[in-house]
Amino acid sequence: MDRRFFLRCLGCGAVATTVLQSDLLPGILGGIQNALAFDYAKNLSSVEARYYKKLEGGGIECGICPRHCHVTDLERGYCGTRENHQDIYKTLVYGLPCSINIDPIEKKPLFHFYPGTNAFSLATAGCNVNCKFCQNWDISQSRPEQTDNINLPPEAIPAICIENKAPTIAYTYSEPTIFYEYMYDIASQGKKKGIKSAMITGGYIEKEPLQNLLPLMDAIKVDLKGIREDYYKNIVNGELKPVLDALVQIKKSGVWLEIVYLVVPTLNDSDAEFGELAKWIKTNLGSEVPLHFSKFYPQYLLKNLPPTPQKTLETAHEICKAEGLEFVYLGNLPGHPAESTYCPQCGKMLIERRGYKIYQNNIKANLCSNCNRYIPGFF
Amino acid sequence: MSRVVVIRLSPPGSVENLDHEQYRIFLESGLKNLTGIEDAKMALQKLIPSGTVGMKTNCLARKFNSTPIPLTAAMADFLKESGIDENNVIIWERTNRELEMAGFKLNASSFERRCLGTDTNGVGYSADFYISGDVNSLVSRILTEMVDHNINMPVLKDHSIAGLSAGLKNLYGTINNPNKWHGNNCDPYAAQVAALEPIRKKNRLTIIDAIKVQYNGGPGYDSRYIELYNGLIISDDPIAADRIGLEIIEYLRKKNNLPSLAKAQRPVKYLATAEKIGLGIADIAKIDLKVMMVDNQGRQKPGSLTDG
Repeated sequence: MDRRFFLRCLGCGAVATTVLQSDLLPGILGGIQNALAFDYAKNLSSVEARYYKKLEGGGIECGICPRHCHVTDLERGYCGTRENHQDIYKTLVYGLPCSINIDPIEKKPLFHFYPGTNAFSLATAGCNVNCKFCQNWDISQSRPEQTDNINLPPEAIPAICIENKAPTIAYTYSEPTIFYEYMYDIASQGKKKGIKSAMITGGYIEKEPLQNLLPLMDAIKVDLKGIREDYYKNIVNGELKPVLDALVQIKKSGVWLEIVYLVVPTLNDSDAEFGELAKWIKTNLGSEVPLHFSKFYPQYLLKNLPPTPQKTLETAHEICKAEGLEFVYLGNLPGHPAESTYCPQCGKMLIERRGYKIYQNNIKANLCSNCNRYIPGFF
Repeated sequence: MSRVVVIRLSPPGSVENLDHEQYRIFLESGLKNLTGIEDAKMALQKLIPSGTVGMKTNCLARKFNSTPIPLTAAMADFLKESGIDENNVIIWERTNRELEMAGFKLNASSFERRCLGTDTNGVGYSADFYISGDVNSLVSRILTEMVDHNINMPVLKDHSIAGLSAGLKNLYGTINNPNKWHGNNCDPYAAQVAALEPIRKKNRLTIIDAIKVQYNGGPGYDSRYIELYNGLIISDDPIAADRIGLEIIEYLRKKNNLPSLAKAQRPVKYLATAEKIGLGIADIAKIDLKVMMVDNQGRQKPGSLTDG
């Protein structure tokens, strides 16, 4: 295959090979499209990474995620985006997104976070896990020299958001933990200009970097990929426990949290797992945290499996509602009633969604317009 | 039995870099002793009869300890003399940057021998994944589409995770996601990478440069742990070649009062795994090892892996 172009077509969501040609950008990136159109990055970045320590006898230990990669000179960690340069650990993706887009916030999905607004969304190459179902494997499993990247420094991003009426920056598509420094600095710049930040993550991140990031985040969506360790080991190539810990840490911080669970046929779709999931969320995070069950489509290394049957998703929905979770959604099922938000008290439809579109919003000042029940989130 | 030939300079430990002519002498002796054919060009023809030939280098340690340019040049000359068109020889690595930093001059043209990275415009990786056990990777198009045969030309080094960096570890540079396959001392991953279909099918010969051996502190360059071993390991069995490389690393570690790789928490497990999946011989008892000491005039005599 030729060198890949991963910069995504704004608004269309598809991989586009010429997206940074200026003719595709007018009206979307405002007055800066020409600068973006011709500013492909020729080199990788060489910015010192945060959260690592030098090891006695040489090498470093990365502390950004629970892998704690030990990396010697000129080698990289598991994510493929951090490299040891004579025991100075460097991030190679700082300021170098390979994918940018303006997405509806519903696409993240975040359903209780300024519904109907847009998010300027970006990603760099790389990921700290290797999910066999990854939809964005072409960037997440690539090294930054294998993607086409543009120069986009943190300070340039708030202006793009303002130009494009996107009140939120979403760090998404791959795994923002691996471009932590870039995300952190963008969020800092955004905060100064009143732009919000939303991290779309697998939650496989160490406690300290997460704790320091939380004050800059307005919302976090965690992909809780399963509720059993063996699933994380065999399908995700990660660990469940640190993700659960991160969920609790995020919830305690007060940053808005939503959870997605991708239902993969035969692998994490038993009634028992849905029950365990609901119980864990209710006990550890509370019943008000929105939970999205998402339909799987055959991708990447799981092309042998069928798409998730609608019935399975509806069963998951029923089980979690029965366990007491108040906001359970079904995703990748456009037009399904469970895409919409209902008042847990009176049952009135509060936000009507079809796909990524909002057709009505009956929440006023976080209250149900029918019974005044408090609806958590930002509306 | 698999045959491995080790050619060492006589007297060993005397030079830091071999020149083109010295490598030519080494290769000539190595090819003859490997095949039992008296004419080195005919020996090479037996291994690589025709087509386009890749030489996968290892340029991680940049100019300090990468696949030597004179070695690739001497091999390219042999290929030309054995009937391979010069432009059908591709010296390659995963990136152009790495090749340049090791001193190679890039050439992606249709004249003379080529030298290019997988990141060269229009090259890249295979469209589809290749899968072997736990490993799923895209493979460089240089290997899948541009060459018919590959000569693996690594440098013998210690590796901070795998224990040994030689032929199998160098094959990580043929795939798009090497960073994913370093867990558990690269076992079983190094074996599984070597078992990926295009790699397994096209790898004809392993030539491990052991002139300057990084016996500790690898795979980058650390001058504190370099020994002038002055050797070249040649085999058509990639596992047996690495197994002999491991013997040399362990010998040099012992000689320099360092613990074995196993004691240093990086046991080389992946070679036994590779033997189990049928990629070659890791059992030292089943390797027909021939060590030759060669001087600058090409005079040969039997030698030993160790200096004692």
